[in-house]
Amino acid sequence: MICLNAPRPASLCGSGSRRDFLHAGSIATLGLTLPDYLRAQEASGNKDSDVNCIMLFLLGGPSHIDTWDMKPKAPAEIRGPFQPIKTSAPGIEISEIFPKMAKHADKYSLIRSVYHTATAVHDTGHQMMQTGRLFSGGIEHPHIGSSLGYLKGGRGELPAHVLLPRPMGRTGGNLPHGQTAGYLGKNHDPFVLNADPSVPNFKVPDLLPPDYISAQRAERRQKLRDAVDGSFESFEKNAAAKQLDDNFNLAYRLMSSPKARDAFAIEKEPDAVRDRYGRTRFGQCCLMARRLIEAGVRFVTVNMFETVFDEITWDIHGSKPFTDIQEMSKLVAPNFDQAYSALLEELTERGLLKNTIVTAMGEFGRTPKVNPAGGRDHHPGVWTILMGGGPIQGGRVIGESDELGYAPKSRPITSGEVAATIFRGLGLDPHKDLPGPQGRPIPLAEYSLQPIKELF
Amino acid sequence: MYRLRELAFALVLSLPCVAGELKLYPPVMPLTGSRASQQLLLLEEESGRAIAERTTGAKFVSADSKIATVDVTGLVKAIGDGETTITANSNGQSATAKVRVSKFTDPTPPSFRNNVLPILTRAGCNSGACHGALAGKGGLKLSLRGYDPDTDHFVLTRQSLARRVDRSEPANSLMVLKATRTMPHGGGTRIEKEGWQHQILLDWIAGGALGVSNSDAAVSSIEVYPRGATLKPKDTARLIVLANYSDGRVVDVTRLAKFVSSEAQVADVDEDGQIKVGGNGEAAISAMFNNRVATMTVSSPFPNILDVEAIARSPKSNFIDEHVLRKLGELKLPPSAQCSDAEFLRRAYLDAAGILPTFDELTKFLQDPARDKRAKWIDALLERSEFVDYWAYKWCDTMLVSTRKLPQQAMWAFYRSIRQSIADNKPWDRFARDILLSSGSSLLHGGGNFFVLHKDVAELSESAAVTFLGMSITCARCHNHPLEKWTQDQYWSMANLFSRVGMKNGERVGEIILHPERTGDVLHPRRQIAMPPTPLDGTPISLDDTTDRREHFVTWLTSPNNPYFAKALVNRVWKNFLGRGLVEAEDDVRETNPPTNRELFDALAKDFIEHKYDVKHLVRMVMNSAAYQRSSRPVKGNESDDRFYSRYVVRRLSGEVILDALSQVTNVPTLFTKVYTGVEGGTAATTNYPEGTRAIQLPDSRVASSFLDAFGRPDRAQTCSCERQQDSTVGQALMLNNGQVLNDKLRSPMGQLNTWLGGPTSDPDLVKRVFQRALCREPTEVELKKMVGLMKEAGTTPATRREALEDLFWAVLTSREFVFNH
Repeated sequence: MICLNAPRPASLCGSGSRRDFLHAGSIATLGLTLPDYLRAQEASGNKDSDVNCIMLFLLGGPSHIDTWDMKPKAPAEIRGPFQPIKTSAPGIEISEIFPKMAKHADKYSLIRSVYHTATAVHDTGHQMMQTGRLFSGGIEHPHIGSSLGYLKGGRGELPAHVLLPRPMGRTGGNLPHGQTAGYLGKNHDPFVLNADPSVPNFKVPDLLPPDYISAQRAERRQKLRDAVDGSFESFEKNAAAKQLDDNFNLAYRLMSSPKARDAFAIEKEPDAVRDRYGRTRFGQCCLMARRLIEAGVRFVTVNMFETVFDEITWDIHGSKPFTDIQEMSKLVAPNFDQAYSALLEELTERGLLKNTIVTAMGEFGRTPKVNPAGGRDHHPGVWTILMGGGPIQGGRVIGESDELGYAPKSRPITSGEVAATIFRGLGLDPHKDLPGPQGRPIPLAEYSLQPIKELF
Repeated sequence: MYRLRELAFALVLSLPCVAGELKLYPPVMPLTGSRASQQLLLLEEESGRAIAERTTGAKFVSADSKIATVDVTGLVKAIGDGETTITANSNGQSATAKVRVSKFTDPTPPSFRNNVLPILTRAGCNSGACHGALAGKGGLKLSLRGYDPDTDHFVLTRQSLARRVDRSEPANSLMVLKATRTMPHGGGTRIEKEGWQHQILLDWIAGGALGVSNSDAAVSSIEVYPRGATLKPKDTARLIVLANYSDGRVVDVTRLAKFVSSEAQVADVDEDGQIKVGGNGEAAISAMFNNRVATMTVSSPFPNILDVEAIARSPKSNFIDEHVLRKLGELKLPPSAQCSDAEFLRRAYLDAAGILPTFDELTKFLQDPARDKRAKWIDALLERSEFVDYWAYKWCDTMLVSTRKLPQQAMWAFYRSIRQSIADNKPWDRFARDILLSSGSSLLHGGGNFFVLHKDVAELSESAAVTFLGMSITCARCHNHPLEKWTQDQYWSMANLFSRVGMKNGERVGEIILHPERTGDVLHPRRQIAMPPTPLDGTPISLDDTTDRREHFVTWLTSPNNPYFAKALVNRVWKNFLGRGLVEAEDDVRETNPPTNRELFDALAKDFIEHKYDVKHLVRMVMNSAAYQRSSRPVKGNESDDRFYSRYVVRRLSGEVILDALSQVTNVPTLFTKVYTGVEGGTAATTNYPEGTRAIQLPDSRVASSFLDAFGRPDRAQTCSCERQQDSTVGQALMLNNGQVLNDKLRSPMGQLNTWLGGPTSDPDLVKRVFQRALCREPTEVELKKMVGLMKEAGTTPATRREALEDLFWAVLTSREFVFNH
């Protein structure tokens, strides 16, 4: 049934008349063709009005001054080698290293005054941006996507929260990264793909029984296992054992659902679509994220990188084993530019952007002054993140950093406020309590923190 | 009527007696100087532990207000030299404390080190978020939490045209104007105008803004009151912190200390030292001041009515049980019963040697009539080669034995030396000594590869600390440790012990020749000087001393008086068997992360030292304890306990042990034919591991195995127990369900399955045998009936019967009972 929010004749809505189709025709003006729209509705597992979220984690920490918060008037040792370019949003300029995303500035807003005050290591930023909090007092806080999954559950057989392609690995510190469900329990951890969808013959590891196990045998195996009555009380009251059970159940649901299997079948995408995202690990993960959201996953986290060591990343210290500014602009930035732009375009074409928040964020910014190695070091004093889609408005700039990109000049924003904004965008009360350890109520975001209202 | 009134009267009278004894803290207050004050704490105590705080609402009286006054909140202030007493009254009970005021008229201004810096630290001025950041803030850069007082003094009194302090008009000093936000300040108001901190800053400036002097008294220790408290959820209590200085002064530093709770969900503490109890269990609250730490425990017993007899009756095998049961009694946690013999054998084999008992062994054990058969079998188990394999693997995790950084030959040499040490049951002090004093060829003396792996002196010193002291000192590399007493000076003094390890290439591939050098120092990065080589809180040796500095470290390390060395090992062994370390994480021993049972921890370490660091003796003590042999089944009241050892905590087996158990039950070995080469995914063929090599026998973490990776095998890239992932994941479930590893074993034409299919075994017998091999028990009636029924449905042709048996194996081998130790 098609019933867009057309001004008139409103009375026909719901009656299923031919005129509905005429109205539907008007969606073409939104850049959608009718078949697109129908396909989106049909293919979509998320027929409810719940908002979803894709979090692109730009591991390493992009240099705000070289990307989305340029300082062309600053001294040479600060402004860096790149020039600003205009974007499709009036008055907003970003770095020339992102020509593609510049055309989509109406679809995202820039928050230029995010900062944190914890130790300037990757790990703290990972914790804070993914959970809204710094870990302390033995409490491990849940990833935003896992909180959402806890509150809303998965749609059908699909996990609520999927992590692509692999969890963040070592980044120097020895701290948790905030990418699990923490105190909500392991069964709310994201489903981790653990494979690179850009490689030929990509398959989700062990998603299906081998070919020689018939459906009948698979069923018998489950029945036999259910008959192993080791379920004495030792296990019932034990968190680790319960976790194993939950994971087995989820695994079984994943295996047995054609829709779930199909969601991961990236090879079903036409070559043209796959090329559009770039045939990189990150590009194909963005495409996979789109497929998963379409199939009904609520939250997808994409780690652009897995570590900052021996990989070309946003972590542009300049010296080995890290990246320098030029490598970043030649390899990292184009990779992001293409995949991010393709994702925004496709979500728009498929009518998914209106109920899917897309946010791209690093764990901190980088020092305004270029260091002697020709790089920039960690700087949590201020940085820029991107957010759009769902109820989050695009084409806006929130907050600003000072002339040197050193600290917020106006509207300083903490990770907790970013989290509160995502929760509000997802349709949740950001101060709703979760059951913390031993039943202690812990709000999604601290009570004192409000969503960034200028984004709605 | 009369009797009733009498009764009521008696009740009222008896109330304070029913409650605990009233105590006023600190019992003696030496107040030195005109600014001295002390917050009192009125506690109700029972056997030395606070059970309630009564300060608020109490009446305080000073016997002589010309010497000291006390206000309604219990704040005592010095008024003039002399001695007097303060009395506190609450609920008809009273308690007193002595005050001794001295040097009231002494005009000495506040000291920069002891008065000014602590105020700036507490106000957050020199925190990492503000002026303590590496680059400072707004042009002012202070050392992080004041670890460098000299520079801080210079910065505050000399830099910025000396505008930060104005000696002639202290109130005009920029540092005061900013901190009180009389002038605009990006950091907001840090210090209240007219408050006591404000006054100290002004007095210090007026007194000449003097800097650090060698005659400054140093903090020798800090104390926190109450020492321990037993409270209920929703109770609150306050802490006071006293600092003892080297000149004999005792100062109330409660308002300058930092507080942190080890278990915020049991008892949280706010920045003023106010405790709020939120759950049941035990929390350690640490107070930190000037790099000194003092800890108290809050225990919040579980809401159970505990049968005292049950604890008294609970079996005790050795001293471990005395301590565990005492703690259970304190927390009102009932212990579970002892586990069955079959449960014990499976558990013991898996925990001590990473293998399942065979059916024969299980039968023999069950039939052994000896009363002490568990002890006998433990002794025998400890002599098996599988025991050696298992512990070699464990120490290789810690020692990072791997071809990640080491060439093949060196990796093997390192592995073999560790394995041999375990086979010889080399005492732990000698094990440490032999590795840390390695010299000569790294291929002949494999332990030398410890130095090859950590070429950087700082890394070497940190890794030695994690490995042998169970503690991380990394924070102190750049600044004083925020959660420990270790300072940056101590860090670099320790690092300098490792600065004279010379290395040169040997003649063979992968060979490094180690030799002690006679010169060479590592410089303290801030002071740019060589620190006298000192093992943490040990004694220094002279910089000119040319003996091998490592000797000095090892002597300190393995001294029976070293408070960390024995405990580090004890905690690792305890965790291996009991599932949760006395300190968790197992290699995060520090003041602010205290053990769940301090007396037990001390006793285990003492026993280990008395038995000359005999690891097998320790293992034997732990395995023989009733605590280890308790059932994993909870009893009413101990369901939520996962750390006080009221029952055996079930846990997932490690990936290596699961994989080996799959091979053992199916009788199909796992082949290890590839090793990882590059960072991502590359592999190369290897013939190093002949068929039959078990996963736990692998010397190298780079042997390719997607199964071990999925089940959380450590990378052996950094010295940290956190490398091993113990949680279960959907990925593991998928791998067990659908993965090649198990399915290939079931389909193998060579395994146990084939043997049985070839014989005349009936279906019920097949079910029984699989259960015996995998779960060490017989199937129950219900299980047997269900399974035989399901197998019958599969059909009777040889092909379908095989499938049915494969499926039976599969079901048992993927059950949680199989992949868990319980």
